Amino acid sequence: MPRARTALLVLGLLLHASSFSVAQTRTAAPANTTDVAAGRKVFDAQCAWCHGTDGTGGTGPNLQGKLAHATDLKSIVDIITSGIPGTEMPSFRSPLTERSIRQTATYVRSLSRGAARTTAGDAQRGAALYSSNNCGGCHVVNGVGGILGPELTTIGARRGPPYLREAVVTPEATHPPGYLVVKATTADGQDVRGIRVTEDVFWIHVRDAAGTVHALEKSKLQRVERDLTATLMPSYATRLSSAQLDDLVAYLSSLRGAK
Amino acid sequence: MKRLFAAALFVLGSATVFAQLKLTESPTADGQWLMYSGSYASHRFSPLRQISTDNVARLRPSWVYQPPGTGALESTPLFANGILYVTAGPTAVSAVDVRSGKALWEWTRPIQSSVLNLGFPRVNRGVAMLDNTLFVGTLDGYLVALDARSGVERWTVHVGENPVGHSVTAAPLVVDNKVIVGISGGEAGIRGFLDAYDAKTGKQLWRYWTIPSPGEPGSDSWPADSWVHGGGATWLTGSYDPELKLLYWGTGNPGPDWNGDSRIGDNFGTSSVVALDVETGKARWSFQFTPHDVHDWDANQIPVLVDAEIGGRQRALLVMANRNAFYYALDRKTGEFLLGVPYAKQTWAKGLDDRGRPILIPGMDPSEKGTLVYPSLQGATNWASPSYSPMTGLLYVPVREMGSVYYKTAVEYRPGTYYTGGSEKRLDEESWGAVRALDVRTGKQAWDFALPTPTWAGVMSTAGGLVFSGSNEGNFFALDAKTGKPLWQFQTGGPIRSGPMSFAMNGRQHVAVAGGHALFVFALPE
Repeated sequence: MPRARTALLVLGLLLHASSFSVAQTRTAAPANTTDVAAGRKVFDAQCAWCHGTDGTGGTGPNLQGKLAHATDLKSIVDIITSGIPGTEMPSFRSPLTERSIRQTATYVRSLSRGAARTTAGDAQRGAALYSSNNCGGCHVVNGVGGILGPELTTIGARRGPPYLREAVVTPEATHPPGYLVVKATTADGQDVRGIRVTEDVFWIHVRDAAGTVHALEKSKLQRVERDLTATLMPSYATRLSSAQLDDLVAYLSSLRGAK
Repeated sequence: MKRLFAAALFVLGSATVFAQLKLTESPTADGQWLMYSGSYASHRFSPLRQISTDNVARLRPSWVYQPPGTGALESTPLFANGILYVTAGPTAVSAVDVRSGKALWEWTRPIQSSVLNLGFPRVNRGVAMLDNTLFVGTLDGYLVALDARSGVERWTVHVGENPVGHSVTAAPLVVDNKVIVGISGGEAGIRGFLDAYDAKTGKQLWRYWTIPSPGEPGSDSWPADSWVHGGGATWLTGSYDPELKLLYWGTGNPGPDWNGDSRIGDNFGTSSVVALDVETGKARWSFQFTPHDVHDWDANQIPVLVDAEIGGRQRALLVMANRNAFYYALDRKTGEFLLGVPYAKQTWAKGLDDRGRPILIPGMDPSEKGTLVYPSLQGATNWASPSYSPMTGLLYVPVREMGSVYYKTAVEYRPGTYYTGGSEKRLDEESWGAVRALDVRTGKQAWDFALPTPTWAGVMSTAGGLVFSGSNEGNFFALDAKTGKPLWQFQTGGPIRSGPMSFAMNGRQHVAVAGGHALFVFALPE
């Protein structure tokens, strides 16, 4: 998987996608194989970056099987056209023509109509592993857990299984937005390493591994190093067997928020 | 009107004395800021020196004004006779009393949600002023004249068709009795133009089309009917040389933005600066920074008019740090290319030839699979104003250090929809910003002040030896104009996406900037 990490797809000069008027797209002719093929081409270039080749999921949700926000071709067209407010799904009104959007939607629908992918692992066993490995020490699920890492309550709806597996095995390759690791060196040579909570031109706030937030004035620091690939999340590549990783990923994939 | 004209000349020619102006009857008119960039030369330089490197550390907020509406303000206020005139999106103007921070009047144009803003936020960047009249463009494509004393409408004219993508977001420019107005819509397949209207009546005096129609010079760079939707918007305020009587205006990207297949050729008139006779609207010369642009590198940045020595000869220059990452110096009488050097990271050109044409690096066009290019689609700089200080000879540029993966997609023209043919994937984490000082004679960097993210804040320099700018993170700060060393900062609590300005009231200098949806005014303690 490409190291997509935190960059967001931004469409042209479209700065405030949410302020745009409602989609005026008409739903169109019935699906045909030409549309599916053309849609696949667009999908591979514009969508697979987040949703994975064949829509298996990545930094964006898995599109195989039932879709969380769409039930028919029209609703898929609407989502591609306008995006989903409050999520990372942007509007494609700028880069794609109505025809391209319809073709892409047709392809996405063909993916979602296929059999839902069977997950290799067992979510219940995964929940037990989540607990026994103290993942909740750093992550919140349904209001319970620590704050050092990202909340996981809806992670299964937002990230695909390949991404989730990689996040556990090679966490530095799936760096989530807002969790940049920095090391600030104070005037007296002390290192403060942790997650950058916020930064402006003159101040940086760093949360260390113990959870303490350090408010640091940059002019009083020797230096600030940003490690774009580091993470405080340990790798579970050797701590868990392949079958256990499947179970954990199955559990994480099942986290879709309150019903 | 002559008073305004004289003021501009004065600011052009002098760094040390400020003209005492009286636009109206007010007895306290001094230290005014009468146009978007502060002067016709667009230096965004204040000749006021009360706030200086010695005392700026004591600068304090005087008051904060929150206009109607929501969204980050992108406006530079004007100041005349004790009143600040500030605009807000989608289309609103407020007149704020400087002593109290209270609005005397607020004018809001009703803008329906169906009004299009294809390719830009629902913003307004400022008014122009002549005597007792303010001129404001509207998101739905009109120009309105307001009485500065009450906010009452004097006249309204239709500038462009919003249903096909036209809007007026830029501050107009008043020259003599003319109101010069640019148009937005370069992502909607418009054909760009610049208009002049009679300040008294609103009657249209001339229109300059940025894209030539068949048979006009440059039309051979537009195959078939591609010129009809060729772009070349004029969406930011230009500059003016009162001696030459020439207007200088930047033009935007060709359409479609990222898919140039239907417009093979240089696409004359786009990503250029054009010099127009202010009386007739006829072009004297033009210079194209990015021929056949396929990265959306508009050249709408503010053209800065500077007199300086280049190649052993004193010249009347037009300088521009362009969105394409090159700094240019042109002879503003003739348009002759004198100098061009990169000022930010770029990976698309080996350099410029002796006529200023880029020597392209092959394989840098947007593609179906994506092509990584520096700078990003938003460019190495964008609409945020630069500043020139005649005291240092430096051009202060708001810089965006960022690359993008550019994608090309199929495209077809449909009125009132995007006509872009692509998208970008920004490299956010590796990006950063700066206020960068360039020697206008060479383009060489004198100093650099780094910012956490690519900036949208304009820059102002002052005779107090200061450079003011802001950040996306809400900092408003002052730097030493000679060294770039930070001397003062204030956290405004919202992103700064506007240009700072300065004015004096009863002999007391103020600095103003919009941060978030509020206008902040600062002064030294009394």
